[in-house]
Amino acid sequence: MVGLLFNLMIIAYIDPGLGALLWQTIIAAFVGFVFYLKKTRRWIVDVFRKMFERGQKPPGVGIEIHPPEVEVKIDAR
Amino acid sequence: MPAPAPSFRDPAGCCCSFNGRVLRFVAAEAVSEFEKFLQTNCARQFIAEKKIVSTRRLSEGETATLRESPELQPVFNARPIGAVFEHERIPFPSYPHEWPAEMLWDAGRLTLEFAQSALADGFGLKDATPHNILFRGSEPVFIDVLSFERRISGDPIWKPEAQFIRTFLLPLMSHRLWNMQPADVFFTHRDGLEPEEIYRWCGPLERFKPRTLSLVSIPTWLSRKASPDDQKIYQPHLLANTEKARFILESLFKRLERTLDSLKPVAQKNSVWSDYMATHSYDDPAFAAKEKFVNEALREFKPARVLDAGANTGHFSALAAQAGAEVVAVDLDAVCAGAIWRRAREQKLNILPLVLNLARPSPALGWRNGECPSFLDRAAGAFDGVLMLALIHHLLVTERIPLEEIPRLAHDVTNSLLVIEFVEPKDDMFRRLTRGREHLHAALDVKMFEQACAPYFEIVRSLALPGTQRRMYCLKRKGGAH
Repeated sequence: MVGLLFNLMIIAYIDPGLGALLWQTIIAAFVGFVFYLKKTRRWIVDVFRKMFERGQKPPGVGIEIHPPEVEVKIDAR
Repeated sequence: MPAPAPSFRDPAGCCCSFNGRVLRFVAAEAVSEFEKFLQTNCARQFIAEKKIVSTRRLSEGETATLRESPELQPVFNARPIGAVFEHERIPFPSYPHEWPAEMLWDAGRLTLEFAQSALADGFGLKDATPHNILFRGSEPVFIDVLSFERRISGDPIWKPEAQFIRTFLLPLMSHRLWNMQPADVFFTHRDGLEPEEIYRWCGPLERFKPRTLSLVSIPTWLSRKASPDDQKIYQPHLLANTEKARFILESLFKRLERTLDSLKPVAQKNSVWSDYMATHSYDDPAFAAKEKFVNEALREFKPARVLDAGANTGHFSALAAQAGAEVVAVDLDAVCAGAIWRRAREQKLNILPLVLNLARPSPALGWRNGECPSFLDRAAGAFDGVLMLALIHHLLVTERIPLEEIPRLAHDVTNSLLVIEFVEPKDDMFRRLTRGREHLHAALDVKMFEQACAPYFEIVRSLALPGTQRRMYCLKRKGGAH
């Protein structure tokens, strides 16, 4: 990882700007916060969905019912 | 043979044209990653879609032969070369200072598309400049394949963002605000416009508009506050959560995409020449005769590559493209060139529109004039046919070009065909341009024109356009092809 980072820093040759880079970093921090908000929201929605699904399941849901095996014989006569 | 002028900014390698081939010399330490990129899904897909130039690694034998070429010694000696690759050749290279704003916008769209798509394969763009792109007809093609680098998965920052803003967004914003053309920017600013520069040009109200605030004002204020000696700013800030880093990057690209979309050049803009096709001085039979004449010449000579000089909105460029030619359409009016680009994209015509004044063609640019060859260097012998329709009076009157110089220039450029429209001084448009200087062209007539063409071309046929003071000529180059 360190080797790769070192290599990339050597190859990075363009002018990254100053104000634009700082502004990107500030926005990145804000978007990082949004990332956690979204993640938390998704977690809460998932929890409620699971609770709701558990509460709504009618008895018997989740039990697999296999049809009896019936052997079909065809009379060739 | 002059030594090839290799590119030199990227320490990972360089590219140069040699004996008609486009060669990329990749530094030993970068070969492995470069080949891995070429194997990624996105690279394969983009090469199949012709959005990236096709690339093949030369065999050891081919590379050894190149190593023996004295012209390539400086390239091999400059750094340890790990491998040499060959790219497909794009028919007519063009540069950002020759593009209308529409093409700069399109190049920006392609750059963002690549930056986003490569993320899925763990790669990213290490630079974001329009110089990475050429146009095949009206379609952008990414040529600087070495611009892709493996990304560190925890890095949420895209360092080339500032370059993307300088070279795409700010020139397009200047075009939107002040009708500034890419030529106005890129002739003098290889790396585009700095936010601080635009900030000075903006009025106080403009500085607080949302787009300007984000692209120009805030970066300018931040750069004033920050210490330019603080190297910590430029160190990578890696996140432990790679999913978060990816989310931040994707959101950055979406934001840049929205901004780019908001700066798409507007189609309805008019200029002095953009409505020429609606207001020209021909009546319908004369225009039909001119069209028929050009079509016949194109059918007879079947030129594979055509230069339409003074193309206006590209009516005759479209005829040539429909006849199967690769067309380069040049006009000094950027609005006209933009209209040609839109037409070519809509009708899928093989036309490359360029903003160029034939009397002041693009000079060679860059370090020691070696980075972007001049238009005439690229055009010499590059075309099988040249169209100079309703152009001669502009060159004679407005630019004061001597008559005999006009067929001479065409002779330098074409290998075979020249279709040229001679306009007599009595013509309305000619007189409108002379503005009281009719005496300068009093002696000009058909005979004088034919004499001027005689050293360079033989007349195949000519036709006086009915009801006009104009005559069409179909000429064949003397001395064969270049």
